Amino acid sequence: MKQPIVLLLAAVVLLPFVVRPAIASEIWIFAIFGLGLNLLLGYTGLLSFGQSTFFGSAAYVAGWLLKHYGINTLLALGIGIGVGAASAAVVGYLCVQRSGLYFIMLTFALNQLFYFTAYQWTSVTGGEDGMPGVPRPAMLGIDFKDPLIYYAFVSALFLITLFLMKRIVESPLGKILQAIRENEVRAEAVGYNAPRFKLLAFVIGGAFSGLAGVLYAMLFGIVPLEAISFVFSGNVVFATLIGGSGSLYGPVIGSFVFIWLSESMSTVWARWPLLLGVAFVIVVLFLRGGVVEAWHKVSLRFFK
Amino acid sequence: MLLETKEITKSFGALTAVNGVSLAVEAGTLHSIIGPNGAGKTTLFNLLTGTFPPTSGRIIFDQRDITGTPANRIAHLGLARSYQRTTVFPAFSLFDNVWVAAFATGPSWKGLLWKSANTYAEVAERARQALADVGLIDKSHQPAREISHGEQRQLELAIALAAAPRVLLLDEPAAGLSPDETRKMVALVRALKGRFTIVLIEHKMDIIMSVSDRISVMHFGSLIAEGTPGEIQKNPEVRRAYLGGVAA
Amino acid sequence: MLYALMGLGLSLITGILNIPNFAHGAHFAVGAYLLATVAVAIGNFWIALLVAPIGVALLGLAIEYVGIRRLYAAGHDYQLLFTFGLALILSEAIILIWGPIGYSHLPPDILRGGMDLGFTMYPKYRLFLMVAAGLLVVATWLFLEKTRYGAIMRAGIENKEMVSLLGIDIHKLFTVAFALGAYLAGIAGALTAPIRGLNPGMGVDMLGIAFVVVALGGLGNLLGAIAAGLIIGVAQALVAAYWTEASTVVIYAVMAAILLVRPQGLFGIR
Repeated sequence: MKQPIVLLLAAVVLLPFVVRPAIASEIWIFAIFGLGLNLLLGYTGLLSFGQSTFFGSAAYVAGWLLKHYGINTLLALGIGIGVGAASAAVVGYLCVQRSGLYFIMLTFALNQLFYFTAYQWTSVTGGEDGMPGVPRPAMLGIDFKDPLIYYAFVSALFLITLFLMKRIVESPLGKILQAIRENEVRAEAVGYNAPRFKLLAFVIGGAFSGLAGVLYAMLFGIVPLEAISFVFSGNVVFATLIGGSGSLYGPVIGSFVFIWLSESMSTVWARWPLLLGVAFVIVVLFLRGGVVEAWHKVSLRFFK
Repeated sequence: MLLETKEITKSFGALTAVNGVSLAVEAGTLHSIIGPNGAGKTTLFNLLTGTFPPTSGRIIFDQRDITGTPANRIAHLGLARSYQRTTVFPAFSLFDNVWVAAFATGPSWKGLLWKSANTYAEVAERARQALADVGLIDKSHQPAREISHGEQRQLELAIALAAAPRVLLLDEPAAGLSPDETRKMVALVRALKGRFTIVLIEHKMDIIMSVSDRISVMHFGSLIAEGTPGEIQKNPEVRRAYLGGVAA
Repeated sequence: MLYALMGLGLSLITGILNIPNFAHGAHFAVGAYLLATVAVAIGNFWIALLVAPIGVALLGLAIEYVGIRRLYAAGHDYQLLFTFGLALILSEAIILIWGPIGYSHLPPDILRGGMDLGFTMYPKYRLFLMVAAGLLVVATWLFLEKTRYGAIMRAGIENKEMVSLLGIDIHKLFTVAFALGAYLAGIAGALTAPIRGLNPGMGVDMLGIAFVVVALGGLGNLLGAIAAGLIIGVAQALVAAYWTEASTVVIYAVMAAILLVRPQGLFGIR
């Protein structure tokens, strides 16, 4: 059981030597994002197709405050988490009453609402051009401008996030959410208010997504419109599924795969989303029973 | 009277599934509800467990009016139910199946988010007890979807027990069981008689006659007879309703 | 009217196949682009209008046959990923084939210019669009209500098992439903091309609105989808007259507001 932690720590330490620190940071940020989603997708069985709503909102709000009010990093993170959680509370409240297709479509449509708001509100968000100029203020005297130092910060936060998620998943809440996934009717019958618990899952997932959003904004110094788009939501779903939604570490692995894929493809071809789409299709059609299942079995054996 | 319904009625549009049923269950007894298919028995259970509210009428539990209480609060009041069609948590181990039920009505939810699930000793004890009561303790760590149908019916019952309720509502616990498994189920129900107040829906007459203290007979949504097993056996209306299905 | 068309197609697909079809918007876009290409190639708008949607329907057939068929048992997450991947492929393919900048395609001569309605000048093409889309909606509606096959489709929305028990090939039904949905999206796109112009992002925008229409109208509730589509179309036009930038946002905000009060949408049953 100690194995995955060791592997992970090794990965954290070695990664910046294998890829650029910025990419390495991006991987862990996306992993945090994926962990947040997986609480909903893997554990509660809710396919939330609008996670970028929380990610992007947090990025914009914190980015704005960082840029125009010069708040410090700690406050930015706190605000990001808060915005992520709050927006998730709103979206969650609207969505948990529905299930199945309705639920998926609703999360998507609300994502669009936020997207178009960001798109139109150019005075604040910069619309299509995004919000550039997000600073990376120092914290506790540590200067984050050096990519490697920022990487250390990001990966430390990732490890903390992973630890928190592990606690949550092993707590009664984790069991209750899974019970809701397995049999919502029975879960209610034994005494759990399912919509309320789903909402809680949303808020927690949203908080994680918000954290990821702020870190993302600070990493690239810009909040692109894509960060709140449904494509981004789709990416994190893909990453989580390919890594394996059944385990805690799945989203982490998926994040590696996805970022590696997208980074390598985007430098080669401007039309790389097409390849991404192809990758989605291939995974779903052919590898679903194959690699992903095998991966599940392997990861369940190793990481359980 | 521990559990009563007063003229409870449930209509779905033009169809009246339960029609003015007044039931009275005494604490510590085993009260059976029988009737042909479609008589409204499961609907009555659904009303009692808050699956949907009644169209009219009241439900009184321990002198308190609980009409309209939603399903997720019922367990906390002290009523637990097992279902006619096995509905457990398939991917969970047997232990986890009963654990979630035990935790819900357990002493405290403190530490819901951060305490490891293993640290709740009382809950674990209750879960273990429930599995032991139904005889499944040896299989605690097997996933629920891998056990046999008969064992799943036992698990079904265990989940209800894990809530440490005052009233057990059992909907055809012997459904789909072989004669041997049925015998075991009957013994189990009899063993539970002293500890809980039980309301039982069953089709198998021999079970009903051997364990019930009182029997209520439903037909087309209404209560047509009520009494001791002996009285019910002799009741002509009951015989009519069953058209020869009663073990004489 | 356009929204009603899109909503109807999507409602049909989601109602019968019960999958999240994120490629619906892409079908819309492909319809538009095909129209433009064919019209330019042949030089005749009307033929292109006939041909382009059929092309989309064929595409839909292919998609269903090759991909979606295998995924009915797979669960929504994989279905979603699949249609989402398709949408990506299609929109990128559009950029590949037709270039990233949008372009415009003018309507045929008869339909250019405005028509004097007495109280205002109204673009002829818009009228044509309304009438054509309206006719299509009615035609589809009649097909579903009056013909035997249409009745089977509607039954399929209610209860798939029953329909297959009746001896009807459920797989063919699904294929036809998907192709029909794709057709409706394609012709909607083709009709829009002359007034809205073409750009690769048009599919995505439409997708969101189609989802709103279906969510408001109730999944599988065909009449509801039509009604919701009309309501949203009118609402958007009204808002656009006063506050152009916010018109899209308002649609989503209205949807959120309605769903808050009535989680089953305006016409859904729950």
